[in-house]
Amino acid sequence: MRYLNKINSCILISTIVGMSLMSGCASSSDVTVLRVANWEEYIDMGDWDEDEIIELEDGSTVFGEDDLMSEFEDWYYETHHKKIKVEYSCFGTNEELYNQLTLGSVYDLVCPSEYMIMKLLHEDELLPYDESFFDKSKEENYYIRGVSNYIDNVYNELSIDGKVLHDHTAGYMWGTLGIVYNPEYVDEEDASHWNILLNDKYKRQITVKDSVRDAYFAALAIKNYDLITSEEFINAPDYHDRLTEVLNATDQSTVDAAQEVLTRIKENVYSFETDAGKADMVTGKVVANQQWSGDGAYTIEQAMDDDLELRYATPEECTNLWFDGWVMLKRGMQDDPEKKEAAQAFVNFLSRPDNVIRNMYYIGYTSVISGGKDDMIYEYAKYQCEGEEEEVDNDDVYSEADQGMEEGDESPQGDDTDDEAGQTVLDSRYDLSVLQNSGQHSEGDRQGGLRAYPLGYFFGNGSEDDDAYTLYVEPGTGQEALLESRYPLIEIMDRAVVMDYFDEKGNEAINRMWTNVRCFDLKNILLGR
Amino acid sequence: MNNKNTLSTYYVLPYIIFSVLFILLPLFVVLYYGFTDRTGHLSLANFIHFFTNSRTIGTFFYSVVIAFLTTLFCLLLAYPIAYILAKGVYRGRHSFLLVFVLPMWINFTLRVTALKEILTYFEGNIAMHPFFNTIICMVYDFLPFMILPIFNSIVKLDDSLIEAGYDLGATKFQTFVKVIIPLTIPGIVSGVTMVFLPAMTNYVVLDMVYNSTYIMGSLIGSYFSSYDWNNGSIISAVLLIVIGLMTIISNHLINNKKW
Repeated sequence: MRYLNKINSCILISTIVGMSLMSGCASSSDVTVLRVANWEEYIDMGDWDEDEIIELEDGSTVFGEDDLMSEFEDWYYETHHKKIKVEYSCFGTNEELYNQLTLGSVYDLVCPSEYMIMKLLHEDELLPYDESFFDKSKEENYYIRGVSNYIDNVYNELSIDGKVLHDHTAGYMWGTLGIVYNPEYVDEEDASHWNILLNDKYKRQITVKDSVRDAYFAALAIKNYDLITSEEFINAPDYHDRLTEVLNATDQSTVDAAQEVLTRIKENVYSFETDAGKADMVTGKVVANQQWSGDGAYTIEQAMDDDLELRYATPEECTNLWFDGWVMLKRGMQDDPEKKEAAQAFVNFLSRPDNVIRNMYYIGYTSVISGGKDDMIYEYAKYQCEGEEEEVDNDDVYSEADQGMEEGDESPQGDDTDDEAGQTVLDSRYDLSVLQNSGQHSEGDRQGGLRAYPLGYFFGNGSEDDDAYTLYVEPGTGQEALLESRYPLIEIMDRAVVMDYFDEKGNEAINRMWTNVRCFDLKNILLGR
Repeated sequence: MNNKNTLSTYYVLPYIIFSVLFILLPLFVVLYYGFTDRTGHLSLANFIHFFTNSRTIGTFFYSVVIAFLTTLFCLLLAYPIAYILAKGVYRGRHSFLLVFVLPMWINFTLRVTALKEILTYFEGNIAMHPFFNTIICMVYDFLPFMILPIFNSIVKLDDSLIEAGYDLGATKFQTFVKVIIPLTIPGIVSGVTMVFLPAMTNYVVLDMVYNSTYIMGSLIGSYFSSYDWNNGSIISAVLLIVIGLMTIISNHLINNKKW
């Protein structure tokens, strides 16, 4: 009986506590509550160590003291003089988020991936951002002032049912789909083709994402290899549109062919993994894995701590351009202007350059924010390129590049071409061999042996001055591998396609295909296979 | 006296509410989704699909094989261990039991991760033998659940019955088969039910040892993540039927003394 008493009092206490908590929330009505759902480990939680402080070359520092949610609450009170409470929750997959939403969870602002955004948009669940949110003249509109032109254009081109993604989405993180590999065991050439998943040289030594869409994408790339790498296809004026079409096909014969490829992949790879791949790569259980670029960077960084060299390759046929973005949900917002203002302010707060850097540091992914006129994020990318030893070894190169920048006012897109040193730097950028044969550099063939890595398409504003946004990194180092996984070059973007949200029929066909690949077929026994 | 009775009625109330909310209601939800189609109309299509598709029924078969082997090896290992622990002539047998049950206090993913490293040490690339490793990890994971109930039933065993067996001329083997085993059947049965069904759905272990073939649990998960509540639920319903059947059989075994 005493035992029972204990349990009962436990129940009583927890009920009382629960009730008081609930009433606590309800009583404070002057506080706007913003219900945010985001991926796990996808926002800076602060609490950095003293030595984690980021000191950029331009003298500015970034430090994560508190988590960004509570810092936003303070910031909002200071700037808008209104009280806000961020209720933050996490989800593990897009499907989990969608299931939560359909089962009655109510959120105001969520951060799904591009195809889930399209699905929600198609189902008319999303609220467009205000026009004022896209007003570049306003100081506090950090998002629109900072988002990379290139990414912004991608959002403008994506639409579903006539609704443009751009008006409903504020991007967060983005990247490509590729192969993380251990150069000790895997040739770069092998890793640069999706075919590696079928290569029996690496039998049972490669992992593939346990996600229908990522596996399907790789299968389609393998199946269509001859087509999408043919001269005629690549040189066609509508190359990108056709590539997108090929990699978004869901007709039955394509799905069947993909099933055949994936069944062979299943027999050849180590496993389909949801999360174990990163650790298995670092511990050396596998020599390559299919990975999103952000996780690729994370893996490479982890391996660097163990003095293990890993690299990230984006297959030469094609890659999947993915991004996660903030969208406002109609059902949560209920046309509440206070909420909408707060949600948009939250997105802007996260897009403020220092917060962007904090997030990139904490998460390891690449933000869609390039900073616009503010070069802080570019400085951070530069900062990331510097290994500890390189700083001393290649002083001459940095001073050359710096010289150019100093003369061109505060921003590097100033006219550094007038400067002779800057001219040489520029020339070497156009030397294609520099880009392609980074592995086999010889002494003195370019600026102190550094590889030029032009990122004007991402950081620039579409003008000729964009060439100034070129990073220099020592070939063969972990910094180079990290850079390659964080920021793809423009020629990779040319073959990067967004995978659409498939319609119900297509989705069903793909899911059925996936079950077929994964399930044990009784026919195998009955037919004696 | 009366006062005490009304009090105990109150005590029961939370448990009734609990069972309705967390056992009965979900059960009806599962059955509802299992036997309706996407539009909410009554339909047997999911049920028929499950038993006619060579891959879903193949998954069922694969899960049963894994669960059967797991249970078998657990039983073969657990019975002698439980017997020695219960009947052994040494002091402090409960602390010895603790040694075998202690792993249950550690999160099982942690245990399997550790075991994975050991297997990697011996096998090299463990992805080469996914099925074999699955069984090893499952047996390791579920062993305590088999030991405990068998241990309890052997401890309760009346020694005079065993002595009576010897007195009546039975050999050691005959006593074991005809006296000890029948008397410990309840322990064996509850051990088997505690291992067999969870082993059919515990896909986390398969995931962790790189077995990329689905079992029942992963198939349910994959249906749910593609928003197919109906086909996912019917699998749960089928598993319910299996549980039901096993409970009936085990009750029969426990009550039927004539075995």
